[in-house]
Amino acid sequence: MLKSKTFVKKTRSGGIMKIVREHYLRDDIWCGSEVCTECKQEESVLQKDACIESSLCAFPHYLLPDTNVVLSQIDILEDPLIKNVIILQTVLQEVRHRSAPIYRRLKDALHDKEKHFYTFTNEHHRETYIEREPGESANDRNDRAIRVSTRWYSDHLKKAEGLRVVLLTNDRENKDKAEASGLLTYRCEEYVKSLIANPELVDRLALTDNDKNDITTSKVLFPEHLPLSRIQVGIKSGSFQQGTFRASRDNYLEATVFVHGEGDDSTEVLIQGLQNLNRAVHQDLVAVEMLPENQWVGPSSVVLQDEGPKDDDATEEDEEEKTLKAAVVGAGPRKPTGRVVGIIKRNWRPFCGMLFLSQIKEATRHLFTPADRRIPRIRIETRLSSTLAGQRIMVAIDGWPKHSRYPNGHFVRSLGCAGDKGTETEVLLLEHDVPHQDFSQAVLSFLPKMPWNITQEDMAVREDLRLLTVCSVDPPGCTDIDDALHCRDLANGNQEVGVHIADVSHFIRPGNALDQEAANRGTTVYLTGRRIDMVPELLSSNLCSLRCNVERLAFSCIWEINSKAEIVKTRFTKSVINSKASLTYAEAQMRIDDTSMNDDITKSLRGLNQLAKILKKQRIEKGALTLSSPEVRFHIDSETHDPIDLQTKELMDTNSMVEEFMLLANISVAQKIYEEFSECALLRKHPAPPPSNYDILNKAAKAKDLVIHTDSAKALADSLDAARVDGFPYFNTLLRILATRCMMQAVYFCSGMESDFHHYGLASPIYTHFTSPIRRYSDIIVHRLLAVAIGADITYPDLMDKHKQSALCNNLNYRHKMAQYAQRASVAFHTQLFFKSRGIMNEEGFILFVRKNAIIILIPKFGLEGTVFFENKNKPSPKLVFNEEATTLTVEDHIFNMFDKVKVTISLDASNIQHQKIRMSLVEPVIPGVSVAPSEINEPEAKKVKLDH
Amino acid sequence: MATVQVSEAEKVYILHGVRDDLRVDGRGCDDYRHMEIETDVVSNTDGSAKVSLGHTDVLVGVKAEIGKPKPCVPDEGYLEFFVDCSANATPEFEGRGGDELGVELSNTLYKVFRNQCSLDLKNLCISPGEHCWVLYVDVLLLQCDGNLFDAISVAIKAALFNTKIPKVHLSENEEGGKEIELSDDPYDCMRLNVENVPCIVTLCKVGYRHVVDATLLEKACSVASLIISVTHKGMITCVRKVGGGSLDPESIFEMTETGKRVGKALHVPLMELLQKEESLGKKRPKVGFLG
Repeated sequence: MLKSKTFVKKTRSGGIMKIVREHYLRDDIWCGSEVCTECKQEESVLQKDACIESSLCAFPHYLLPDTNVVLSQIDILEDPLIKNVIILQTVLQEVRHRSAPIYRRLKDALHDKEKHFYTFTNEHHRETYIEREPGESANDRNDRAIRVSTRWYSDHLKKAEGLRVVLLTNDRENKDKAEASGLLTYRCEEYVKSLIANPELVDRLALTDNDKNDITTSKVLFPEHLPLSRIQVGIKSGSFQQGTFRASRDNYLEATVFVHGEGDDSTEVLIQGLQNLNRAVHQDLVAVEMLPENQWVGPSSVVLQDEGPKDDDATEEDEEEKTLKAAVVGAGPRKPTGRVVGIIKRNWRPFCGMLFLSQIKEATRHLFTPADRRIPRIRIETRLSSTLAGQRIMVAIDGWPKHSRYPNGHFVRSLGCAGDKGTETEVLLLEHDVPHQDFSQAVLSFLPKMPWNITQEDMAVREDLRLLTVCSVDPPGCTDIDDALHCRDLANGNQEVGVHIADVSHFIRPGNALDQEAANRGTTVYLTGRRIDMVPELLSSNLCSLRCNVERLAFSCIWEINSKAEIVKTRFTKSVINSKASLTYAEAQMRIDDTSMNDDITKSLRGLNQLAKILKKQRIEKGALTLSSPEVRFHIDSETHDPIDLQTKELMDTNSMVEEFMLLANISVAQKIYEEFSECALLRKHPAPPPSNYDILNKAAKAKDLVIHTDSAKALADSLDAARVDGFPYFNTLLRILATRCMMQAVYFCSGMESDFHHYGLASPIYTHFTSPIRRYSDIIVHRLLAVAIGADITYPDLMDKHKQSALCNNLNYRHKMAQYAQRASVAFHTQLFFKSRGIMNEEGFILFVRKNAIIILIPKFGLEGTVFFENKNKPSPKLVFNEEATTLTVEDHIFNMFDKVKVTISLDASNIQHQKIRMSLVEPVIPGVSVAPSEINEPEAKKVKLDH
Repeated sequence: MATVQVSEAEKVYILHGVRDDLRVDGRGCDDYRHMEIETDVVSNTDGSAKVSLGHTDVLVGVKAEIGKPKPCVPDEGYLEFFVDCSANATPEFEGRGGDELGVELSNTLYKVFRNQCSLDLKNLCISPGEHCWVLYVDVLLLQCDGNLFDAISVAIKAALFNTKIPKVHLSENEEGGKEIELSDDPYDCMRLNVENVPCIVTLCKVGYRHVVDATLLEKACSVASLIISVTHKGMITCVRKVGGGSLDPESIFEMTETGKRVGKALHVPLMELLQKEESLGKKRPKVGFLG
């Protein structure tokens, strides 16, 4: 049966269009229930004995939620307890329209076989399709469609004894109408509270409008948000700006709105004060109105943190705002300032954090403090406060009424005890948006079937390199080996060097679920003691990993190199290799150094090492930078997985040997794919930093009467090499650490979209990533491009689309950045664990930076950075004079310069469980009233013993 | 335009018949052929009607679009006419064959509607000088069997009667910028008052008398024809002589009087019919295009 759907729409150019769509009604849409005998469905989703124990419905029943219930109570619906739910097409479409994340979650629930969720396409069912009537709003029409479908289900399933359909709706009018027509209807709260089996589900109920009112005082704290239509008009006319809201980490009364302009033209608008922030939450898309120029302010330099539940008591807030204002006067240059007038799109996600218990006992409303300081506290209602205290939990925001100081939310789930390793890792993964769920069945289905063997067809198209003496050199404990090397002498006196990279693109075919998952993850994330794989373990640690003495597929880059380390010939080929040895850096170094060893592997290694040294020299001459960052490794106890000892990473010749050849391979591949695909090659660039970035480096050098030239990479590298101070060997490393911080981020990009390809740090005109396809998705794309270039594989549309590739690059850059942050956070957490077990220690360190009221100290031994504050809340602060020009801080009589050597005590500050941190206090130089006495050093022997393993 | 060959004998037969007020198909001189009207036939227009008169078949669609008012009348909307002579109607229209007739027909329609009383154009104004509704009246000739003008004018009147213009209102922000907002309810729409929309009556002088609604045969025998557009009150908005031949003043006067009388009589059943069809609402059985 054919119907047409007619609606009127406003076009972008301001015209009005009448749109007519054909709409087909069918009579072969089945109900999806096991009990039904009429419908000819092949597979039924809804169970026969659909029992959820409830005091309201003692009989088996199917739930049928309306749109608002799904939107607000998705957390409830996701609970494993809730099964046998009918999701109407009307509801699904509305949800999709209103909230993409909830739609995704609903789709996941629908796909989950255990959940028994059924989509009923009521809009195409002949008996449940309804047309909008005159005078009926779109919402009313949808409500009626839901009621009609409920009615249909009730009648349809009448034959099944005792089975009923329960309509869940929070809309009073809808409920009344449904009840009037004899349908079984409950409010969501009513129903959830009636569940016998699981009383704690009540906590996850999102607050609805009715409940919200009684929490808050009637006092209006915030200006009303403008409706979307007004905002759109304002943005069009230019009176409002649209941008992403970014709350300040240090000051809860301050934020910036990043306004995206045309092209690169984007500006930042400063927002200050609760009223002006107007309930915007970090990452929301907001509309801002600029304040007149005489009200512009500068960003304040004070650190302000929201101090607990003052419960809408505005007086103290006012005081804080006054401090803020006082701090603003005279601080920095004034910036464009505005106020938030409306929210275009909320970007709320469930937030990790901890519960801040209400002081009133037995209270059920508590404040939740998110781990991310940029997110405001959230008020939630829970009966389990005593259990949840001390646990890391996730909370979702439901809304922020204008008379409430804090947003309202509800409890989603508990992650575990705070301070617990598993919990903390989970938190940092969630907070850094690292996808870390187990791989789904869909993804795993694309893995090769075990036992896997290299087939005859594979051999036919690949070069057989199994007889070459290939070996791999990696850090100890590495299971995802993606590169291996070989080197042999040729008859003409030149040498043949091969870099063999795991052929991951052979296993991951473009476009399938496995590929999409890997593209989304972008990178493997290495945390201390845990690895979050980009591809399933079967590939990462087995089939792709170039382990020794097994045949593996590889993508090889083979050069002919003469004795001056100049490349005579380069070729790329897909191959089969059989690695002869998997060595660690130390093992490889030992073989090279041990003159008694003269086997093929060792000879090959020696050849490689020699060439690498020449290559490195050439590279440095061209101006490649050697920078330094204090990297630490933990010795992890094999049983408790607690860190036992910290050790800074040691660099050996073999490290740089492997690195040298990887760089060479990457550069060769970059040239090849760019030559072949000038529009869509995936490359990596490292922009030169703007000169102002070097200010701090210059000042530091000046203090030691040295000059650092920063006009080119070469000049910088040379002057860094020359910068040495007698009797202070660590000075050069410190300088390099500083130089590292001046650098820009290296990024992936698509060659068709940009013109500047230069890699500043490596001093290479072109660069890409080819050598680690197991742990980086960018390399997989590069493999595919290279395979097409040498005719070993076929191309596919997305690979050649520069816009799609550019979007992919953006995701990869984002994932890499987040992975780095997560790694750092993981190291920081393990450092804390380490110091927790160590107790208080005294250590020597150097001043890395000098700030207005603090010095930042680096402890080389642990690669640890910490801040010594000279201002303390409870103590009168000492006399501080900060000289910005020379970057010195005078405390009482002592002058602190950059790079000064100091002694500090290190301890763990656990006063705030959520944000435990390392506290450092000054021991030497002794400044009365500021420095502290050195603490007793505990058990230094224990450490030495453990170092050995 | 479709032409028919008429022999001398046929001509005499027709002339004599007309003289005796008995035409070839049995009608009197002032009678119309059988007429069928159906509205709301094209769903993606804002108003449409199909009229068949004898074997003449005309489809009219009205599309409302937002445009800028004409500078001379900033507070009024306007109508645009376009007549498409499809080759369906007659093979002679193939290629550019129908263009001339199309232009002639649409020019006549402009003349017929160029007056204050036929349609309240002020209603079509959204904001003076900035936005107004423009009604695009598209006429499609499906089959020609004489008397196109009358059929087209009836179809236009029916289509305008059927037209539903979505309601819009202007919202103003502080800066005085105006934004057109569309009502959320698809049933919330504006109707036009078509009471004063004129119908065209074409009179053909055959011998010493004149006939309305001439068939192609009669047309071939006619010396000259006069089109008169008449409102329901009998007011004449336009008189035009079409085709070759000449008319003496006396017969023009006579023809005008007949036109007025026939026109007035045409409006009454037309409006009744349209209202009746409207009142059936959604329950109206759709005859559809080919029905």
